Amino acid sequence: MKKDYIIVNNLTHTYGDFVALNNISFGITKGDIVAIIGPNGSGKTTLLRYIVGLISAKKGVVSVGGKSPKDMRKHIGYVPQHFTFDRTIPITVQEFMALESCAKIEHECKNIKKALRAVGMQKFARQKLGTLSGGQFQRVMIARALLHEKDILVFDEPATGVDVAGEQTIYDLMKHINKERGSTCIIVSHDLSIVSSYVNTVICINKTLVCQGSPEKVITPKKLKALFGAATGVYHSH
Amino acid sequence: MFELFHYPFMIRALVAGGIVAILLGWLGSFIVTRNMSFVGDGIAHASLAGIALALLVGWATLPTAIVFAIIIAIGIYVLQHKTPISSDMAIAILFTTGLAIGVMLLHLSSGYQPELMSYLFGNILTVSTQDVITIVSASCIILILLTFTYHKILFTTFDPDGAYLAGVTPWKYDIMLYIVTAIAVVLSIKIVGIVLVSALLVTPSAISKLFATSFASFTFFSVILSFVTVFVGLLLSYYLNVPSGATIILTGTSMFIVSSIFVGIRKKLV
Repeated sequence: MKKDYIIVNNLTHTYGDFVALNNISFGITKGDIVAIIGPNGSGKTTLLRYIVGLISAKKGVVSVGGKSPKDMRKHIGYVPQHFTFDRTIPITVQEFMALESCAKIEHECKNIKKALRAVGMQKFARQKLGTLSGGQFQRVMIARALLHEKDILVFDEPATGVDVAGEQTIYDLMKHINKERGSTCIIVSHDLSIVSSYVNTVICINKTLVCQGSPEKVITPKKLKALFGAATGVYHSH
Repeated sequence: MFELFHYPFMIRALVAGGIVAILLGWLGSFIVTRNMSFVGDGIAHASLAGIALALLVGWATLPTAIVFAIIIAIGIYVLQHKTPISSDMAIAILFTTGLAIGVMLLHLSSGYQPELMSYLFGNILTVSTQDVITIVSASCIILILLTFTYHKILFTTFDPDGAYLAGVTPWKYDIMLYIVTAIAVVLSIKIVGIVLVSALLVTPSAISKLFATSFASFTFFSVILSFVTVFVGLLLSYYLNVPSGATIILTGTSMFIVSSIFVGIRKKLV
C-alpha cells in the first residue's frame, strides 16, 4: 500500500461561530489526481488553503511530503477560485506571468510563452489583464501555475467561466502534466461528469469527510444524495 | 525667462521638488494599484503632530515629522491588518488623532506660528539648504531601495497570496511601502503642504493610467508626469506670484482634465 503524500488529520477550522471544517481526516497518494467535491459551504476552498499553506493548522495537522505546507509552498502551484483585482490597472498578461516567473529565477522569463501556449493564450501576452474575459483570465491563472515544475497542482474550480473547449483543454492539460511530471493534482469541481472521467480518487466532504474512493465507487446516486441532499445524475465515461 | 535660476531659493525648490516628484510618482503607481490613496493623505495630516512637536521644543522639523509619520504609517497598517477595523476607519482614527495632537501642541506654543501655514500649504521660500540635503539624500536611499525591491513590491501589491506561495513574505514589503510612503510624504510637505501632498501622490498616476499600455509604462509615465507637474507648477507659481503647493496641485488637476477629455474624444473617434 502506497504511503500518503498529503495528510490531513483531525483538522478543524472555524470562522467565528461558523464551523467550516470539523475534525476532517484523509490522505492523498503522490502522483494521484484527486477531486474534492461537496455542496456549497462544505469547506472545500478552506481545505485547499490549508493544503497549499495559506492557512496554518491550529486544530489538527496538515502535512505535505512529511513537512508543513508552509515549508512546501514553493513546490505547490495554486489556481484560486477567485482572484480579485482592479481591472483598470494596466498590467499585461506577460507582466502578470513574470511576477511568478521572475520571483523564482531572476531574469528568467522564457517559460512564460511556453505556459501561455499550453493554454492557448500565447496571442494575448501583451494584452492588458483587465481586458480579458473571465474564461481567458482563468486560462492565464492556470498557465501561471504551470510555469515551474511543481510537485503539487491545486485547482479550485478552474473551469469557472471557461467555455466547453477551454474546459476540455484544462482537464486534458492536468492529465498530461500528471502523466509527464508525476505531479499530484487536486481539483475542486462541481462538474461530476468531468470529475468521473479525469480523476483517480474522489474525496467527498461536507465539513467532515463523507466518503473517499474511486469515482465508480463514490459517484453513485445514493452517495451523492447523501452528500448533496438531492438526487444527482452522473454520466460515467469510463 | 531664466532669471529665476539666479535665485537660490528657486534652485533649492526645483531640486527638492524634482526629486520628491520622481519619488512620489513611482510610489503613486503602487499606491493607486493598492487603492490606498487615502493612506498618504492620512499620514500627511497626522504628521502635523510631529511638526508641532518640533516647533515646540526646537527640534529639526523634517526628521521629527518623519519619525512621527512612520509611527502613524505602522499604526495604520496594524489597525488595517490585525484588527477588524476597516481601512478607511483606521486612517480616519489616526489621521484625526495626529491632527488633534498637533493642534494641542501648537496651542502650548506661545504666540503666532507663521511657519505653520508654510507646512499646511507649502512654501518654497522655507526650503533651506539643509532641507535640500535631507530631501535629496533620503529620496535617493528610497529610490535605490525601490529599485531593488520593485519586483517583490509589485508581486505583493498585485497578488499577495501568489507572492507568499512563491516564497515572498508579503507583510515585509507592505510595511516597507507604508514606511517609505510616510517618509516621501513628509519630504514633500515643504513644497506642496500637508493639506495638498496626497494629490501629488495620486494625480500623476491617475493621468498615467489613462494612457499606459503596461505596468512598466504606467510607472514610467507616473514618474515623468509627476516631475512635469512639479516643475511646471513651480515655474507658474514663480511667474504668477501665487502659492507653490496650490499651483502644483492645480497644474496636475488641469493635466488630468485635459488628458481625460483627450482620451474621451479619442475613444469616440476610434
